Amino acid sequence: MISLHNIHKSYYMGDVTVPVLNGIDLSIDNGEFVAIMGPSGSGKTTLLNIIGCLDSIDVGEYSLAGEKINTLDDKSMARIRSQHIGFVFQLFNLIPRISARRNIELPMIYANVNKADRYSRTTTVLERVGLSDRATHVPTQLSGGQQQRVAIARALVNNPDLLVVDEPTGSLDSKNGKEIMQLFGRLNADGVTIVMVTHENDIAACAQRQVHLLDGKIDQDTA
Amino acid sequence: MDWLQFYFDRLLQAFYALRDNRLRSVLSVLGIAVGIAAVMAVGAVSKGGSYLVFSELETFGLNSVWVYRDRNDKDPNRRVRKGTGLDNYDYYAMKETCCSAMDKLTPMVFSRERSIIQTGNRYSNARISGVNSDYLDINNDHIIYGRNFRPLDIKRRRASAVIGPTVVEDLFGKGSNPIGKDIRIGIRRFTVVGVLEEKSRDFLASIGSSGGQDANNRILIPFTLYQQMNGSKAINFFQLKARSLEEADLLSIQVKAFLERRNGKNYKYKTDTMATYIGTADRILSGVAMIGVIAASISLLVGGLGIMNIMSTSVLERTREIGLRKAIGASQADILMQFLLEAIVISTLGGIIGLILGAGSSIILAMVTGFPLTPTPLVIIIALVVSIIVGIASGFLPARRASRLHPVEALRYE
Repeated sequence: MISLHNIHKSYYMGDVTVPVLNGIDLSIDNGEFVAIMGPSGSGKTTLLNIIGCLDSIDVGEYSLAGEKINTLDDKSMARIRSQHIGFVFQLFNLIPRISARRNIELPMIYANVNKADRYSRTTTVLERVGLSDRATHVPTQLSGGQQQRVAIARALVNNPDLLVVDEPTGSLDSKNGKEIMQLFGRLNADGVTIVMVTHENDIAACAQRQVHLLDGKIDQDTA
Repeated sequence: MDWLQFYFDRLLQAFYALRDNRLRSVLSVLGIAVGIAAVMAVGAVSKGGSYLVFSELETFGLNSVWVYRDRNDKDPNRRVRKGTGLDNYDYYAMKETCCSAMDKLTPMVFSRERSIIQTGNRYSNARISGVNSDYLDINNDHIIYGRNFRPLDIKRRRASAVIGPTVVEDLFGKGSNPIGKDIRIGIRRFTVVGVLEEKSRDFLASIGSSGGQDANNRILIPFTLYQQMNGSKAINFFQLKARSLEEADLLSIQVKAFLERRNGKNYKYKTDTMATYIGTADRILSGVAMIGVIAASISLLVGGLGIMNIMSTSVLERTREIGLRKAIGASQADILMQFLLEAIVISTLGGIIGLILGAGSSIILAMVTGFPLTPTPLVIIIALVVSIIVGIASGFLPARRASRLHPVEALRYE
């Protein structure tokens, strides 16, 4: 499903080159639930962005669902993100002032799904995250836990191969955080592959596999 | 219908975004609306104005040519300094032998003194012209009561007069028929033989193009009689009618050459044609219109800059949203189109409102000034196309900046 080979990535700040990833080799199979952990600055968010096709690679090879990613242009990267990947962020990143339903429909608009299908698929994913009665609410009328469920529904609506999740409970209280992690557990049980970045051990414990990064390299992998 | 759905979805996204910033959107819509309305109003006014001027100039007779002595002649060898340089011998010679391009000819005789014009105890301040029977034809004048001069009236110096409607009103009262009645000019009695049809020359009269004279306040008498009253065979100038508009220039060359051949030792002559007047008026009017349109276009430009400003602000404020949209599958082209569409929606709404305002103000102006203002489908299409172009031009830079944002950095933006 995911295959990363000898990934290098540096950031350039003026004249200074800051190496972030120094040779990552990682493969993730279909249906896995992987937590990426590590201290801040270890490169875990950069790795997640590369896996999510948001960021480019300096050196190395990356293939996702059989497609070679490292040579693609912007349009093809956008298509990959649209077809294969769903994102869940710490800060939910819902568009304010439009309803939950319209937020969830957005990825389908970019994937050119017709209106009738959009409606039925939105209804289905809202049911799946337990928010059928909140479809017409705008984000500010929803609690943090509910907003994150809308974001998860948005990530699921194009039936992605992979959920890319960045600190999903970072903005939630522990009760809501627990519920969200239970939801991820159920989704994974249904066959969704999940890659999640977190720095909390008890959150990481929800995943079957933990990958620890240190200074841009894999320090420990429970697989 | 997939493509229709495609654009409809994206248009809807643009509307949501504009609704989020309602006040800002409304203000920039107004900016464009004012610009479009201003351009339309200025265009309509200048178009109506030139229509009016031309329709009034036409009533003088488009084929008219005037010939008169060149008073700026500086040749030191000329001996004759005084006089109009034109007299009855010139008139008869011209009538007989001048000018293949000439159709009609009238002498114009005026007096330096103003005579008192009265009937009973009513007075008139009309301008008196001595003319012949061709005058009416040359000037596109029509008789509504009575008749034109006959050649014998001219030849025999009969005391007959053709008068304008204002003169009728002043001397006989509005709506009365003065044919056969007498008027006094100085110490002479004239019989009214004809009344001129009213001419609309308000606009020209107001800007002084007709010499500050009201065309309806004229008295025409046989030029032979007027000469006798003046005690002079002088003719102030000739007005001629060319056989066609195209031959007006030829006629002016012919008549100048003819007169200078006769009197060249003493005088030089100048000619004017209605065509040159129209050309001059056209140049002045289109110059004025151009300045007006440029001035109005500046307000449209400011409106465009307003859109550019709010789109730039909007891109900055929505950086995270742009990052998110990219993360969930939007390509650069999608983002570019989204922001361009927002700018186009603003400018097109502004264009539609501006069209309504512009048409409204044109109609009000038409009612107030009497200018014939006709908003055409072409104007509507141009206004809409221009506003869409303004939208694209002002939205492009902000939209491109948005589309080129790096998704990771955009998502991290606070």
